[in-house]
Amino acid sequence: MSGVELIERGRSGYPPALEEIPDAPERLYVRGRLPERPCVAVVGSRSATRYGLGLARAFGRALAEAGWPVASGLARGVDGAAHEAVSMAGGIGVAVLGCGPDLMYPPEHTGLAARLVGDGGAVVTEFPPGSRPEPWRFPLRNRIISGLSSVVVVVEASVDGGALITARRALEQGREVFAVPGDVDRSTAAGANLLIRDGAWPVLGPADLVESVARVMGPPPTPPQAARQGTAAVDPLLANLGISGATIDELCVGFGLEAEVVMQRLARLEAAGLVAISDGLVTMA
Amino acid sequence: MVATVTSVAQVGIEPRAVRVETHIGPPKPQFTLVGLPDTAVREARERVRAAMVSSGYAFPERRVTVNLAPADLPKAGSAYDLPIALGVLAADGTVPPGAARVVALGELALDGSVRRARGAIGAAVVASRLGLPCLVAPEGAAEASRVPGVDLRPVRTLAEAVSVALGETAPVAVPTRPVSTDPLPDLADVRGQPIARRALEIAAAGGHHLFLYGPPGTGKTMLARRLPGLLPRSQPSEELEIAAIWSAADRPLGEDRPFRSPHHSISLAGLVGGGSGVPSPGEISLAHHGVLFLDELGEFPAHLLDALRQPIEEGVVVIARRGISVRFPTRVQVVAASNPCPCGFFGDRRQPCQCTAAAAQRYRRRISGPLLDRFDLRVAVPRSEHLDLTASPGEPSVKVAARVAAAREHQEKRGSLNRDLERKVLDDQPMEPAAMRMLTGAVERLGLSGRGYDRVRRVARTVADLAGREGIVEADIGEALFLRGSL
Repeated sequence: MSGVELIERGRSGYPPALEEIPDAPERLYVRGRLPERPCVAVVGSRSATRYGLGLARAFGRALAEAGWPVASGLARGVDGAAHEAVSMAGGIGVAVLGCGPDLMYPPEHTGLAARLVGDGGAVVTEFPPGSRPEPWRFPLRNRIISGLSSVVVVVEASVDGGALITARRALEQGREVFAVPGDVDRSTAAGANLLIRDGAWPVLGPADLVESVARVMGPPPTPPQAARQGTAAVDPLLANLGISGATIDELCVGFGLEAEVVMQRLARLEAAGLVAISDGLVTMA
Repeated sequence: MVATVTSVAQVGIEPRAVRVETHIGPPKPQFTLVGLPDTAVREARERVRAAMVSSGYAFPERRVTVNLAPADLPKAGSAYDLPIALGVLAADGTVPPGAARVVALGELALDGSVRRARGAIGAAVVASRLGLPCLVAPEGAAEASRVPGVDLRPVRTLAEAVSVALGETAPVAVPTRPVSTDPLPDLADVRGQPIARRALEIAAAGGHHLFLYGPPGTGKTMLARRLPGLLPRSQPSEELEIAAIWSAADRPLGEDRPFRSPHHSISLAGLVGGGSGVPSPGEISLAHHGVLFLDELGEFPAHLLDALRQPIEEGVVVIARRGISVRFPTRVQVVAASNPCPCGFFGDRRQPCQCTAAAAQRYRRRISGPLLDRFDLRVAVPRSEHLDLTASPGEPSVKVAARVAAAREHQEKRGSLNRDLERKVLDDQPMEPAAMRMLTGAVERLGLSGRGYDRVRRVARTVADLAGREGIVEADIGEALFLRGSL
């Protein structure tokens, strides 16, 4: 595979943060460029809910806009959504694979990985070319995600998921663990809630995340811009999208508008790149 | 002595005249039936003999030969009992020869009463063509009465058939077609669901095939069942075709616009037509001029979906058999519904999807195959939150149907439903510059394919027709882009 660089431990280009961890990989296969500064990791469940995916996107965008590189595992669900948002915001994303650098798992994220590399980020793995994505590789991969990062944010995780493994490794490595609190009766929130009970820092939203990360890593490399153009001024429909987006029916009912009017307005907003519409769900682009 | 009575054989839904020729030969008791009869037809010998005797006639103690001509046309069923009996009576001189100058169709019971047989409409068509009276059982007369210009004479018994054929007694009145008293399901029952309602209205207006996908319990089936009530009433010519198909399938006719909802475990023959013996119309033909609803589209085996593609496209299915090929019309509007994935929770706000990624992808690939390419409207029906289900009832079907009817008038001037608009015609539709800009922008941004481009233009045409607009405006394109779905 072209463009894969082998970086050995102790040589230049090896991420300083990763050097610190006790079981740091001896060599890394890298496509693209690993950032010098530590990342913020955003991890969570593969079978995420719409809410979880919305949070992951909001966090990815907020961190990218603040200028911090964002690390994750390129998995389906939360990982992919975070990477996607970072790429859309033009930020630096680092994807850590559980297979060789010449393979791509999951295959549907091939394009996403290429975009991350193209935008100045990297795809990295400790497994040599030809290594298949076998289940035992992923917990090992997780220690690299946390190792590259100063802060690990757990978005939505069950108690037995890979995200909790990443959080545990992060604690062993002396990293900060943040988690998003959720309903106590939901399996999708149980993992993050458990972390909070055990001392993880609760995250209350994208803006709160940026503030909390700044307390650990110092002020954001990119000074906060004036808030993105007041989108609600463009169309009040946008104010109602929230983190997990809204269905078109919810917008119709919420605003008391005819279906055709909402569709026409959303089509214009989509054409202007302000919203994304998929399977009847409208989210901020 | 020879007598010839006319009857009918169905080739698909096309009726062909059959001459039932009876010859009475030398005094030697024998009864022979020739002319490609199937088992049920051959058994007519026993029924005819018994019915004649029960009706007070003597069965001739002579050599009786009955030929069903043309001999190469396969004949099936018990419908030839009545013409055979009339032929025997006339050939034997028991009744005047005028009793044979009819088109007759019906099974005889052993006591001489006439029972309904399939194909009464076909008999009426043949009778009207030949200018002969048409004798059928009263139960079949209601459907046959749709045929214009037919001298329809319902008969209850063999003896009555003789006297009615000779004009000695007046036939009983043609029973009026039972009007379905169950009202069609009404859109007023659907609370909320503004997008799906709107999509249904556009589908009804332009005849577009509609695909609804979303988690279980979001009312997809409820919506689909309300489409027939939005369509204009069928024309007399359409009614006749519908009645002919249902008659060929030997089913009592139901509502004005058929609504058929085959289960995904249906056989190929049950879906597109066929079966052993004389081919029967399948569900897709029973839905002719109506709605074919494919619920759980992702559960239908691929070979069934493949088999549906051509009939949906061409409006006719041809079933070839040894020596004969039959055509059944299949002009249907298709509504399909599906979960977004096998567990149904893909994309749900609170409930994670339990499907393995591979299973979810397989499922999507199956539903998004070539059949879906024929669907202009693909509408996501996600589960919405905080919608007030006690809200006032939605707009009733009759109001929506009025707008649909107005939109269809515009289409009649163009000569076809918007669903069937060719690219050339689409190119000629006036479109304001802003609409064109939005459309070309979408081609670049969303990677719209050529087919997708035409789909959007067809739907936009219907949206404009609903609004009574000659030219297509930006808002029409916006709505059409929206309703093309993201599959």
